[in-house]
Order: sequence, then structure tokens, then C-alpha cells
Amino acid sequence: MSPHDHDHDHAHAEIAPSERPGYYDIMETAVRELLIDKGLFGADEIRRQIEVLDSRTPALGAKVVARAWIDPDFRARLLANGRAACEELGISFYDDTQLIVLENTETVHNLIVCTLCSCYPRPVLGLPPDWYKNKPYRARAVIEPRAVLAEFGTVIPDGVEIRVSDSTAMVRFLVLPRRPDGTDAYDEEQLAALVTRDAMIGVVPASIAAGRS
Amino acid sequence: MSPSENLVRRLPNDIGGLAAEPVQRVEHELEPWEKRCHALADVLDFHKIINTEEKRRGVEALGAEMVGKLTYYERWIVAFANILFQKGVLTPGELARKMDEVEARWSASTESE
Repeated sequence: MSPHDHDHDHAHAEIAPSERPGYYDIMETAVRELLIDKGLFGADEIRRQIEVLDSRTPALGAKVVARAWIDPDFRARLLANGRAACEELGISFYDDTQLIVLENTETVHNLIVCTLCSCYPRPVLGLPPDWYKNKPYRARAVIEPRAVLAEFGTVIPDGVEIRVSDSTAMVRFLVLPRRPDGTDAYDEEQLAALVTRDAMIGVVPASIAAGRS
Repeated sequence: MSPSENLVRRLPNDIGGLAAEPVQRVEHELEPWEKRCHALADVLDFHKIINTEEKRRGVEALGAEMVGKLTYYERWIVAFANILFQKGVLTPGELARKMDEVEARWSASTESE
């Protein structure tokens, strides 16, 4: 048994507003205040960044995917340079990361992971779910993706190649799922509602049934 | 391979390809301090004080036991403190005094209610 088989997803205690702040909560406040006191950045920058984080949800990625489904020129630009195409839709990148968009086809299914930590296309999807950051997904996605996908209820036919892309600090990925059958009459907004976060990670397909209500 | 060879070959973060449990599809809403910690990480990166890769290595440098026992953002804030000590931006004594002050402030605020 390796020393890091221990799982990382601990339950979090219920926090009531009046509860004594925990050790790490106090440490965060102390580090932040010291750095602000030293003039390294302003308190307003932290507040602004919290607002930025709150503004990033999978709805942004869904908008990108829906546009790619209805506009072949946009789709081509998106696949050529993910970041520039997202910025075209008004989605700013608040960091230095590049975005590579991976297109699912009849013959290729893409899955994204970060085996070393938790790199994720945050500007377009927001923060990653805990399971993306925990050991089982990170360890196994690269070696037995079909088994991992099956745990999400996704069965990919043997004839379809599965490509797993491992993210880095500087390069992030987003899956462009296949447009579900039977959606020819859907407008862009209706299409976007079918695109879930998990479909853009690649663990499930986009589908009429799985769409956000 | 002996257990010690495993330690040499793989640092705590390097888990791609290892056997592991089934995926538990867990999620949680970030606690307020966790969200502040994330915003702090981004601001440290913007100002080139600690970048993403330094943060990742800082977490790895905590060692397997702490990586295993601390939660995600607990690892981040401890790594930030260590990196800031190494860079000479903060000293351990300074941080300890500030943490006492933050805790005392909280105690005072609850007594006055």
C-alpha cells in the first residue's frame, strides 16, 4: 500500500456563523491581512476576485458549446484557439491559462483530468467538483477511463477511441460534446440548456434527458 | 517494488495511473474561508507572488502525511504560509502573532454581543 492511499475528501463540519473560526480559517485571515498590511495587494482585490469566482458557472461553457453547435465558423475558431473564441463571446480569462477545446465525434470520446492536482477550465466552468480533485478520479481516469465512465453511467462503445487529456498549470481543456439527436429545431438557448458541466468534463454525454432544467 | 522505492518514484501528488477506489461523486459548497482562500491564491498569482506551479509544489512539499490528512484548501493555506516564509515575505513569528490577534478579535466580538 502506498502512503497516500488515504482519501482526501473529509466531511466538513457544519459551520454556524457564531462558531469559533477554525485554525485554517484563522490562518487564511492572518496571511491575507499581513500581505495587505505590507502593501502587496489591496483588500478590494480579494473582494473583486471572489465576485469573479462567483460569476463563473458551467452556464458560460454551455453557451460556448451551443454556439459551436450552430455556427461552424465559430466552431472552427474555437477548436483552433479556445481562449480567443471564448473571449469573442465576452468570457474573460482572469489568468494566464490557455484553453484547448476537444471535440467529441462518432469515433472519439474525450475526457479531461488533472492527475497532479486540480487544474480545470475555471474561467468557463467555475470551480471543479470535489470528485474531480479526489484521488479515485485522478488516479484512474488515465488508466481505466472506460471503468471510470461506467461509474458515471456512461458506456462508450468499444469501437470509439477514448482520449484522456491531463491538464497542467498553463494548459486547460474543455470537451465539446456531440450535439444530441432530435435537436434540429432547438434554438441556441435551448441547446445550451442541454449542456451540463459533466458533459464538458467528458464524463457524460450531452443529452435531452440530462439537460439542466 | 519496496515501499521505500515507491516513495522515491512518486511524490504525493503523482497519483495518475495508480489503483484506487470507485469514484464517489461528492461535491460541497465552499465555506466562506475556502472561497477567500481561493481568491487569495488567484491574487497571489496575479501579483507573481506565488504562481500555480509554485503552489502545487508547495502542497507536495507538505509530505504524504499532511497531503493525506488536510483538506484541499487547508493544504493550500499551509503551503502559502511555507512559501511566504521561504521567500522572506513573512516570518513564522509574525504569522503566529497575527493569528493570535485574529482569534482574540473574534473572541472580543462575541463577548460584546
